[in-house]
This record gives sequence, structure tokens and C-alpha cells, in this order.
Amino acid sequence: MILVGELSLWVALLMAAWAGVTSYAGGALGREDLVTSGRRGLYATTAMIVLASLGLWTALLTHDFSLKYVASNTSANMPKVYVFAAFWGGQAGSLLFWALILSLYSALAIWSARTKARDLAPWACGTLAMILVFFIAVVCFKANPYDRLSFVPADGRGMNPQLQNPGMAIHPPNLYLGYVATSIPFAFAIAALVTRRLDAEWLGIVRRWSLLSWFFLTIGITLGMWWAYVELGWSGYWAWDPVENASLLPWLTGTAFLHSIMIQEKRGMLRKWNVTLVVTTFLLAIFGTFITRSGIIESVHSFAQSPVGTWFATFFLLATATTIYFVSTRLKDLEAKAGLESMVSREAAFLYNNLVLVGIAFSVLWGTLFPMLSEWVRGTKITVGPPFFNTVNVPLGLLLLALTGVGPLIAWRKASTSNLKRQFAFPFAAGLTLGVVLFALGMRDTYALVAYTLAGFVAATIGQEFQKGISARRNIHGEALPVATVRLIARNRRRYGGYIVHAGIVVLFSAFAGLAFKRDHDVQMRAGEAKELVDPLGHHWRFVSQGVSTSETLNRFVTAVGLEVWRDGVPQGLITSEKRQYLDSNKNPLFEPSTEVGIRSSAKMDLYIVLAGVRGETAELRISFNPLVIWVWIGGIIMAMGGLIVMWPQAERRRAPSGYVATLEPAKRELAATP
Amino acid sequence: MRRREFLVRAVAGSGTLLLGARALSAQEGTPAPGPEQSSGSSNLFDMNQGAAKRVVRPPKAGARASLTDDERDAVEHKIRCQCGCTLDVYVCRTTDFSCQVSPAMHRDVVALVEGGHSAQEIIDAFVDTYGEVALMAPKREGFNWAGYLVPFGALAAGGAAVVTVLRRMQQRADKVAAPVLVTGVGAKPLGTADELARLDAAIRRDD
Repeated sequence: MILVGELSLWVALLMAAWAGVTSYAGGALGREDLVTSGRRGLYATTAMIVLASLGLWTALLTHDFSLKYVASNTSANMPKVYVFAAFWGGQAGSLLFWALILSLYSALAIWSARTKARDLAPWACGTLAMILVFFIAVVCFKANPYDRLSFVPADGRGMNPQLQNPGMAIHPPNLYLGYVATSIPFAFAIAALVTRRLDAEWLGIVRRWSLLSWFFLTIGITLGMWWAYVELGWSGYWAWDPVENASLLPWLTGTAFLHSIMIQEKRGMLRKWNVTLVVTTFLLAIFGTFITRSGIIESVHSFAQSPVGTWFATFFLLATATTIYFVSTRLKDLEAKAGLESMVSREAAFLYNNLVLVGIAFSVLWGTLFPMLSEWVRGTKITVGPPFFNTVNVPLGLLLLALTGVGPLIAWRKASTSNLKRQFAFPFAAGLTLGVVLFALGMRDTYALVAYTLAGFVAATIGQEFQKGISARRNIHGEALPVATVRLIARNRRRYGGYIVHAGIVVLFSAFAGLAFKRDHDVQMRAGEAKELVDPLGHHWRFVSQGVSTSETLNRFVTAVGLEVWRDGVPQGLITSEKRQYLDSNKNPLFEPSTEVGIRSSAKMDLYIVLAGVRGETAELRISFNPLVIWVWIGGIIMAMGGLIVMWPQAERRRAPSGYVATLEPAKRELAATP
Repeated sequence: MRRREFLVRAVAGSGTLLLGARALSAQEGTPAPGPEQSSGSSNLFDMNQGAAKRVVRPPKAGARASLTDDERDAVEHKIRCQCGCTLDVYVCRTTDFSCQVSPAMHRDVVALVEGGHSAQEIIDAFVDTYGEVALMAPKREGFNWAGYLVPFGALAAGGAAVVTVLRRMQQRADKVAAPVLVTGVGAKPLGTADELARLDAAIRRDD
């Protein structure tokens, strides 16, 4: 199976090249036989990559340490789940995994478009095949997981302990599923530009795949934050590391696109902008991969030094040049079909929202690249860390939060003064009241105060929209509250799914603002020693050390400290924090010790205990009180759920009406029926 | 039949390519690759344990500790650990006991605090020794202002561009007959713009 897998990789390269050339030729010459051949070539490529992937999984699970990749990323005593996950745990495997997802996505997209979008399919197929050629070529020539060692070691060196976390099994796949999905809208955008068929057909396909990409990126980013928080021990979940930033960039532009596409659907406007956002999202996914795998930017992630940078840079430049050429030669075809009626309209509000989203993406990219720029210009190395990103991005983030509330309340086409008053009075009052109450309660952090005021405003806008829709349904259909709520969402998934995503954003921003009140304590404790600390909410905590203990399990030697904990005199149980020394099957140490954090989560606050070190019998600990952290994960889940609702296919007959039915007078009904 | 031929040739070709690549590798005398190079660190990066340099300043006359523990920790949050982790000194030293750099930098900070140096003097001392890379964020001076201001400048320029575009679109809308509203991808027009505006207004009254 391993040999078959290795061979399949090379066959896949030829097949993808075949699929690309024949699809383009078929599209250009209008020859159906070539188009069909190209499409089948793509399916065959997919089959070959699946075989290549199965081969690698076989090698991993059978511990074939003659393969360099297997020996470098696994050991005989590793739990099976991490052996399986080692497929995407290293450079070469992760690139093959990328190719695997891309081939599966491509086959699915082309299969479903073969009849619906006959004109676009050949060009999209060709473009996807060419992207596949690039990734397979990188795997074959620069990062081949089938490279062999000249000897067969008795055991591998195992997986980095920080990757041996359940997050490892789910975070990278979700992120890759999101990244790779940006390829499909890109391919169809190129196809639409080439064929000049920039109509509803391509828009529908692009929207579905952009949503899928956004959905997986949202899950992937949230899981990444959770993994960093529970595994790395630095008591935070976002460090503005280049690899993190690289995942945020396509998410931001993808989010902008999912808003602006509504304007094109409703009004035929922003066609140039939408094409630009689609291709930019894909290019940012590639660029992010380039900067984090080339070593040009310093990152804590292991892919930073690798030989694939030049390949990615070349591919990025080629893709950018191609895109610029097609967009610039199709500008007339991308002219808007409608004009704007008012600067105070939902169209305009979405454009402001797009401006801020793209502005944040730019500032993140700028901050990520600025150390390199500084070194070029001044010859001085600098660090651009969280203080910089927070200075620049927090104000922009708050502006975005405000627009999250404003956009959905403004009417399409033109908002009247009475419309604005009616829609904004309650949310504005709710947000302001919350801000005043928090100030009266003693909150003085400016950013946190603004964030919670805006969160109150946006939450009220969402609540108001749901209340109106539900009330209308209950009045008209006499439905019970839960039934009316479910049907309201089910009958207009895009609108109310979107509101649920916004609710997730509110929860997320509220959790972020909680970090302003975070407290860290650096303590040393001997066995039996007690420490008393006060958390940001004024609760008194008592910690009694149970001493340092050691133990040995499957593949690690564990040093642990247990703390008996009380809050305001009420026992909270025992919390342990560990240092783990991983061992190979001969009990030799692998890597340096890693941290296992002791976490006690609640809705208000996380108690976060890190065993920083052991000196004699004294444990050195960092005890942190992290307010509202659990809401980061909940916010992410709410956003993903909203995304799922938006994505969920809707029966044709239910698509047209809103979530409620307006009663029209007979004359107006006739008006609506006018062809 | 042609597809079969192609497949056979593709498989044969790729086999040749595979063997050729291996032969080429052997001809070039490429050393047999060992397991991927690594520092053996449990971190996701190569840790530089020798990066610490001494940051020493003579204590001030009659010196007393210039900062409280919280203020000292705040200073350490502004100084970057040089082990390669991208964390600040406080977070690194209280997180990863395999790092020998952040504890050394912490000891220097403590000595400077006890020597009566202010927070800014301590930070400046670290910059003198390590360069600007010792700071978690660039100083707000000279070219670094570009780092801080360009994102806002770009946003302002983008805002101006958006307003200009919107105005043009508005002017066009005034000139051209108002288009019809479509309610979804591929949907047929339901009526003229004026009619639909009236319909919209009627529906909104029911909101």
C-alpha cells in the first residue's frame, strides 16, 4: 500500500497536468470531448491523491520508520489518534493533506457544476487542476512524505508534545478545510472572468463555497485559540503570531465578501469589488502560507524554516498576475447594473462594513510584514507583538462591532429619518444604559466600557429583529413562541442565520473585553503552604499546595503539583498542573518538558494554574484569573451555528418570502404581481 | 481504449519519473536524510538558549526598589524574551521552565529595579543591549510611525474612496432610470423600482 501510495502521488501529478491542459483546451476550442476528458482527469487525480494519502496513513499506522516523515513525526508508543493525526502534523504531510482536500473539493465542485454551469466548468476545472499541479509538485519535489532514510531506525522521534492534544486532531483539518475552500470561488471567478459570464450563475456557486470556507475557518480559528489556551500555558488564546494572522486574513476578506455579495444579489452593484474580494481571499490564503512556511517571518510555528517558500512565492506571483490581467481586461463587464440611491442605506452600510473588514485585514498584514519592512528600510530588527496589534486593531474592531449593529437596521435603497428613529431608538438606549450601569459599577477601562456599550447596542438590534419577526408570526399564524422562533429562522435562514452569527460576534467581543481585567500572580509554594489571592470580581481565593508528585505513564514522565482550592471559603476541589517529559519506547527523553495547565472554568472566570518550574521542594506557579474566557469558545460555536444555518440548503418554494408574511391590501397584491 | 492507453502510459511514465528522481538523487551523492532537524525543544520553534546577554547598570546612590512587583511585571510585559518564543519576559518565564533566557532577563530586571532605576530606564537599558528587538512593540518614533499610522491612513484613504464611489453611484442612479429589485440569485423582477419601493414601504409598516 505504501508503494502504491508513493506511485499514486506521481501519477496524480501527471493526471492533474492533463486535467488542466485538456480542460483549458476544451474551454477555448469548445470541444466537449476535451472538456469531458479534463473533468475525468480531475476525478482520476482525486482518486490518485486519495491513494497517496491512504499510503501515508498506512505507513504511519504500521510504524514504517524507513520513511523519514514517519520517523520524524511519530514513535512506536504514541497513542493511535496522534499517529493518525501526524498525517498533517509535519510539513510534507500537511501539504499532501492540503492536496487531498483540494482534490476532493475540486471533484465535488466540478461534478456539481458540470450541468448547471457548463460554460464555466471547463475553466474552473482547468484552474483547480493547475492549483493541484502546484501542490502535488511541491509535495513530490520539495516536501515528499515518502522520502526514505538510508537506514531504518528502531523507533521514531515522536510528535512534539504540544501537538499531542485532542485539538491536534481537529484544529488543523478545519483550518485546511477553510483555507482550501477559497480555491473553488477563485477558480469560478477566473472562469467567469475568462468567459465574461459574470452573472448569477457564478455568484451562486461562489457564495456557497465562500460560506463553506468561512464556516471552517471560523471553527478552525476558534479551535486554534482553544488549543493555544489549554496547551501552551501562556494564559492567552491569541498572540498575533504570523501563523495566527495568516488564518485571520482570508477570514476577514471572506467575511467582507459574504456581506457585499448581498448587494450584488439585491442590486447588481459592487461587481468589481466582489470579484476582487473573492480572488484576494484565495491569494491571502496562499500568501499567508508562503510567509509562514518560507522563514521570512519569525513565528513560533515549526513550519517557519522550510524549502517551499520559493515555490509558494512563485505561485502567488503567477496567480496574482493572472488575476490582475483578467480583472483589468474585464472591467466593462463588471460595471454595476444599478446606482446607489442614498448614502444612508443598507448598501452603503455594507460597504462601510467592508471597508473596516478590509482595513483590519490590511493592518494585520501590515503589522505582520512590518518587521521585515523595518529591516529593509532601517537595517534594524524590531518586534511587532500584541501591544502593537492591539493599539491598531482594537479601535478598528470596535468600529466593526458598531457597524455589525447598524447595517441590518438600515433599509435597502434609502433609509428615511422615521425609519432610522424607529429602528435605532431601543438599541441605542439599551447600549447606552449598559454603558452607564457598568461605569456606575466602577468599570473604568475605556476600551472595555466602549466594547460593552456597543455589545449592548448590537445585542439589542439582534433581539429587536427577532422580536419583530416572532411577533409577526405569532400574530398572523397564532404560533407558540418556540414554534414561531424555529419557523422564523427556518423560513429565512440567510437573514436570521446571519443575525445568529452577529450574536456570536457580540459574545466574542464581550469575552475579548474581559481580558482587560485579567490578573496574574507569580507564586512559590512548598507542600502544605497556603496562599490567598483576590480575583478581579473581588472573590477571595485560598490555595493550599499538596506538594509535588511524579509518575510515569505510557509515553511520558509526569511532574505534578496539586492545589486544594477554596473560593470565599467554599471548597472548589483539587486542581493539578503538570510538566511532562515525553519518552521514547526505550525510556529516553524526547523533547524538553512541556506544560499541562490546570484550568477551572466558569461563566464568569477561568482559574488558570501553570506549573512554571520546581526548585527543590518548592513549586513555582503562575496563577491567573482570566475573566469570561469560556465565552470565546461559546461565541465561536454560536458563529459556526449561524454559519451552518445560513449554509443549510433551503427548499425552492420557501426561498422567496421573508420570515414573516406581510398582509397586503388587494391593490398592492396586484402591484406585486405585475410582471 | 485511448483512455486506457493513456493510463498505462501515465503509470509507466510516473514510474520512470520516480526511478529517475531517485537515481538522480543517488548520482548527486545527496547525503541520506535523517529525521527532520530539530532542537529537541518541546516548543514549536528552535529555542536559542544562549540568547541572554547581561543588562547591568550601576545602582543609583541610596537606591531602593523603584517598582512594586506588579509594576515590575508590567515592565517585563514590555520586554521580549530572546529565546525565539515571541512571548514577553514575564509570560515566558512563568510558562516554560525549559527556557533559560527569560529567567536570566528577569534577574536583570530585578537587579535594575533594586538599583533604583525607573521603568523607562530599565526598558532603555534592555534596548541598549539587545536593540529594538527587545521591545514587544516598536518605539513610537521615526520610521516606526509608519507602522502605527499607515493602517489608519489606509482606512481613511479607503473611506474617502468609498465615499467618492458611492457619490458616483448615486449620481448615476439619478441619471439612469431606477432598476428593478431582484430578491435573489436568478430571480425574476417583481416590478418596477417605484412600485417595489411602495411595496417595501407597505411591508415595513408591518414590521
